[in-house]
Amino acid sequence: MSDRAFWSRFLLPGGLWLLLLFAVPICLVLALSFGYTDDLGRAVYSNTLANYTDAFDPLYIPVLLRSIGYALATAVLCLLLGYPIAYYIARYGGRRKHLLIALLVIPFFVNYLVRTYAWVALLADEGLLNSALKDVGLIDTGIQFVNTPYAVIGGLVYGYLVFMILPIYASLERMDGALIEAGKDLFGKPSRVFLHVTLPQTKQGILAGCVLVFLPAVGDFVSAQLLGGPDTYMVGNLIQDQFFAASNWPFGSALTVVMMLFLSIWMLGYLRSAAREARDPVAAGGV
Amino acid sequence: MTGVPPTAVGTGRRFGRRSRTREDAFDRPRFLKLYSGLVYLYLFIPIAVVVLFSFNSVKSLQSFQGFSTQWYSDFLNDPTLRESLFVSLRIAVITMVIATIIGTALAIGLVRARTRWSPAANILMLIPLVTPEIVAGVSALLIFSQLGIQLSFWTIVIAHITFSISYVTVVVRGRLASMGDEVEQAAMDLGATRFQAVRLVLLPELWPAIVAAGLLTFALSFDDFVLSFFTTGEDAQPLPVRIWSAIRFGVSPTINAIGTLMMVVSLTAVVAAVLLPRFFGRKESGIKVLTGQEGG
Repeated sequence: MSDRAFWSRFLLPGGLWLLLLFAVPICLVLALSFGYTDDLGRAVYSNTLANYTDAFDPLYIPVLLRSIGYALATAVLCLLLGYPIAYYIARYGGRRKHLLIALLVIPFFVNYLVRTYAWVALLADEGLLNSALKDVGLIDTGIQFVNTPYAVIGGLVYGYLVFMILPIYASLERMDGALIEAGKDLFGKPSRVFLHVTLPQTKQGILAGCVLVFLPAVGDFVSAQLLGGPDTYMVGNLIQDQFFAASNWPFGSALTVVMMLFLSIWMLGYLRSAAREARDPVAAGGV
Repeated sequence: MTGVPPTAVGTGRRFGRRSRTREDAFDRPRFLKLYSGLVYLYLFIPIAVVVLFSFNSVKSLQSFQGFSTQWYSDFLNDPTLRESLFVSLRIAVITMVIATIIGTALAIGLVRARTRWSPAANILMLIPLVTPEIVAGVSALLIFSQLGIQLSFWTIVIAHITFSISYVTVVVRGRLASMGDEVEQAAMDLGATRFQAVRLVLLPELWPAIVAAGLLTFALSFDDFVLSFFTTGEDAQPLPVRIWSAIRFGVSPTINAIGTLMMVVSLTAVVAAVLLPRFFGRKESGIKVLTGQEGG
């Protein structure tokens, strides 16, 4: 047995598993998106485009746009919250670096439903925040947080922040600290050093973080379901409805495909940089 | 950059120091410290609320009246909830074992094998990481119904394994990429077969990453809601699926108790993932193993 044949055996179980249970099922989604439901409510494979015309019906377009908008807002907010903290830990964390990172990661191992539910308890009309504000006397009548876009986006930010922080932290760690010192000598002002040295050096981490936050946020339906209402429903809620309440699997499949198409540019970008990194980790690190 | 006389560097420094203005706040640890502190508060307040009110003596989520463990006994005395806890644990353990074996093999194959299938296998491995979970849930539901498989305990396990393999592969490959194959080669020069080289040299070297990846998979599977939601049948509902139906009936302190217990289970797995590599006599931190930074 040649060396090559020996090592390629290791590829086999995982490759086959992912092919049969991941790639093939996604093709099934694509196939069923051209189908219809018969009179008995069963999904039938066919070749109609009706589901796609339905998906771009004026009724659903706002939902699609809203999902993209919420997810973009989530990525931007995560970047604004996450970059400084990653920077602080990487530059000034010192011996407590690992502890600080561990503290960041801990909340994300609390069940996502439970975390979102905690925000419901905090933000509800009769919730903790409103009653605290009333007790202090800042407000007389409760502020409505739940059922607003802000609550939904807030839930998404809380859900996915760690996916922004970790890649940025990793890229800051890879960066040579001497570059900042050199930048100070060249540019002087810390803000210019940041713009001309640190930011370009961590571009890779920022992009990875944005993709890793944006992609799951677009498909999320938990935050909009628990913290929002019908006016804040996202495409994930719509898809989930088609597979459960409405039981229109072909239309649900078409919505899934449309969502994937919207996301494919981001996915391809991420895959390209990840593939480059796998080939040559040092060059991809940008050092 | 070469050839800058030392004096010039010195002048630059002094100049920078003299022109210290408000802009310096940009890179001043004190400002960053405050900002980071606020982010930590934001992250921990909701969790503190969940834990605190899980010990409340009254059924209120607004005022804490006194300490009690009644919501925990409610949870553990409820047969369906208790069953769900064990379903979740069993799914997580089985997922951990199978996904870790398959994912580790895939990582070894991807790094060591250079065939024309490698790039395709690599892409196939990476796609699940960037696929929204709902897509994986929908496609799992479709394949099971297409094959006429009724949704059950095992459909959840299969869906979880499919989604976990890539995580294991990425973590294990991170460590593998930082190692050369010299030691294996040396072992084979000394008479070991290729299989022995893998078993006696490669796997022990990879062990910290394998353990960390496995425990991470356990935590991810134990906490997963979306995949389970799409692949759960009538029986054997994992805890997150139960929580989902309970939340929609409104808030209840029992959910806080479940959430706190689940947190303890997942955090135990994660802490073990970070600490266990040290028990294998290594100085490096498990966090570095998990984030794939070591050696990179």
